[in-house]
Amino acid sequence: MSHPVETHAILDPTLAPPFPQAALNVLRNPQLRKNVSHAIDVIQGKRARLVAEKTDWQELRSAASAIRAHALEHLGFYLEQFEARCTAAGGHVHWAADADEARQIILDLLRKENASEVIKIKTMTSAEIQLNPFLEAQGIRAFETDLAEIILQLGDEEPSHIVVPALHINRSQVREIFARRMGLKNLSDDPQVLTAAARTYLRQKFLTIPTAISGANFLIAETGSVGVVESEGNGRMCLTLPRTMITLAGIEKVLPCFDNLEVMLQVLARSATGERMNPYTSLWTGVTPGDGPQNFHVVLLDNGRSPMLTRPVERQTLKCIRCAACMNACPVYRQTGGHAYGSVYPGPIGAILTPQLMHMQHAQSLPYASSLCGACYEVCPVKINIPEVLLELRSQVVNQERKQVLRFFDPMYLGLRIANLLFSRAWIFHAAQRLGRIGARLVTRKDGWIHSLPSVGGKWTQTRDLRGLPSQTFHEWWAARGKEAK
Amino acid sequence: MSAPLESRQRILDRIQAATQPSAASAPSYAALPRSYIRKGALTAEARLTLLIERLREYDAEVVESSPEELPAAIAAQLTASGKRSFVAPAGLPADWMASGFDWKIDRGLTSAEIEQAEGVVTAAFCAVADSGTIVLHHSLTEGRRVLTLLPDWHLCILRASQVVETLPEYFDRCPQPPTLVTWISGPSATADIEMTRIKGVHGPRFLHVILVRDQASPAIKNN
Repeated sequence: MSHPVETHAILDPTLAPPFPQAALNVLRNPQLRKNVSHAIDVIQGKRARLVAEKTDWQELRSAASAIRAHALEHLGFYLEQFEARCTAAGGHVHWAADADEARQIILDLLRKENASEVIKIKTMTSAEIQLNPFLEAQGIRAFETDLAEIILQLGDEEPSHIVVPALHINRSQVREIFARRMGLKNLSDDPQVLTAAARTYLRQKFLTIPTAISGANFLIAETGSVGVVESEGNGRMCLTLPRTMITLAGIEKVLPCFDNLEVMLQVLARSATGERMNPYTSLWTGVTPGDGPQNFHVVLLDNGRSPMLTRPVERQTLKCIRCAACMNACPVYRQTGGHAYGSVYPGPIGAILTPQLMHMQHAQSLPYASSLCGACYEVCPVKINIPEVLLELRSQVVNQERKQVLRFFDPMYLGLRIANLLFSRAWIFHAAQRLGRIGARLVTRKDGWIHSLPSVGGKWTQTRDLRGLPSQTFHEWWAARGKEAK
Repeated sequence: MSAPLESRQRILDRIQAATQPSAASAPSYAALPRSYIRKGALTAEARLTLLIERLREYDAEVVESSPEELPAAIAAQLTASGKRSFVAPAGLPADWMASGFDWKIDRGLTSAEIEQAEGVVTAAFCAVADSGTIVLHHSLTEGRRVLTLLPDWHLCILRASQVVETLPEYFDRCPQPPTLVTWISGPSATADIEMTRIKGVHGPRFLHVILVRDQASPAIKNN
């Protein structure tokens, strides 16, 4: 393998190709598919075991779902409460309407600190606003500290999963990246050795870089606290050692009360990594004299979230706690991996979140990247009915498309308009059936099957055969049978 | 700098337009379903056994001790660790700091000084048996957050009366929401490379627990 890690286009929904096209790359890469399915099998197995041992799992799901729904229903109240309590505890709260504003706020804060380097805890929200390339262009180096994020950053790779973002890269590929970028020639591909290499690489950075950026798993309105869930301790390093901490959080991350965590922490780790509890969870409140960063900023990011609140069906999307159980359970994600979704949020949740964050102006192919099997809904710890949202978004995409003049003669829309007419009256339908039987004879083979259809129908028969039309409809058979009985 | 304020108002206006404009009502919050398991069902002894089992699953080492023998048990752990230099939180009881080792007491130690220590000894606020979780509230006996982060070896002294079975029971033990919390479930770990669990990335790679049998305490009785 001369160059084992493929380079991918940036996961920018405004530029990404439609899902079916993007998925082809992965479907033709057996190594990538093997890496993805291996990782998913491991997580799924652990999750299933640990969820099964929880006799009150469904009660926990109901509670988690209700807490999140309640927080969203009163989002304005809880955000203002969070702001007031966080400020009272010595924090500074900033509001960013979109990605541009969030990047600018963070840049201004870093400039005030004279920062040329910054350490980061894994945050998908910063990937959403493409913070790293922006800071890089402004002369500030961002060092990712989560092991998976280091692998991606050093390998110029893109995340393909929201919890284990480098799951598409195997150990020999990691070895190659580390050997090349850390200058370690005789590195083995033992995960233990690779992990130790990352520890050494980062230790001095933790101790010397005085500014850090994090995301947030939870914002607690009651106390103004921020919670971060992690495994490695890189998060604790970033939120304990630096002088200044900047937390970037989506506005939907707020929980009403501290003790809501008794539910959320029980469902999150089990759903995300198949652990009873992740190794480290940290909660801090503003600034604590003598302990941790003495300058603390929270940037609350809207960036397309508030419009999702308007209707209950779409609002569910914002209940998400980013556990990734839906992508682990999804038969489509399992085949395509994350990059095909053209967004930092892949899988079923990405399929509903990304187009909405894009105000339905991009990523319109994603609501179709699903078989609607419902596995995602079944595993979701906050009971987001993803299939329901997918269907709603599909209807929005169709409504957009059929308003376009060019689509008027599109064979699919033409066909659907004709179907609409045919189904409107029984006599038209019966007439069409008779005509169809005649027409179908042209394409039906001797074995009674249709192997290929012309025009758009060909898309269907490309991968499946159709049974030919029977010589008699059920209605006709029933009517004839009735006569015989008399 | 009026733009940020405008954004704040713009976001809040959009939210208010889309949701109920009223303040969150206490009744609607109180009505949220809470039918999950709150109280554990195990006996005090079974609860401790479960905690020890869970901690060992995480590769933490657990030994038991009586309150009287605790200083000796700590000294034995320190000796067995093969390490010499330790840091201690400012409020750590004096008889926990066994003689014959280099102790640095945290009265404003720098990160570099803490980094040089080989180990740390602390108390804890609570432990949750169900998930094998140790909870620190970073009081004077538990130490600042950095203290249990930089040294590679952490010895945590836990009293049996601090052990609860379920996570909700821990929350019942918080009269006020704490300002700082660290929930620790086993030593630092990662599974980022092929989902292979590797112990010890950035936090302490070795977690040792001494469980002190102070069972007479009425706080632990089952209800």
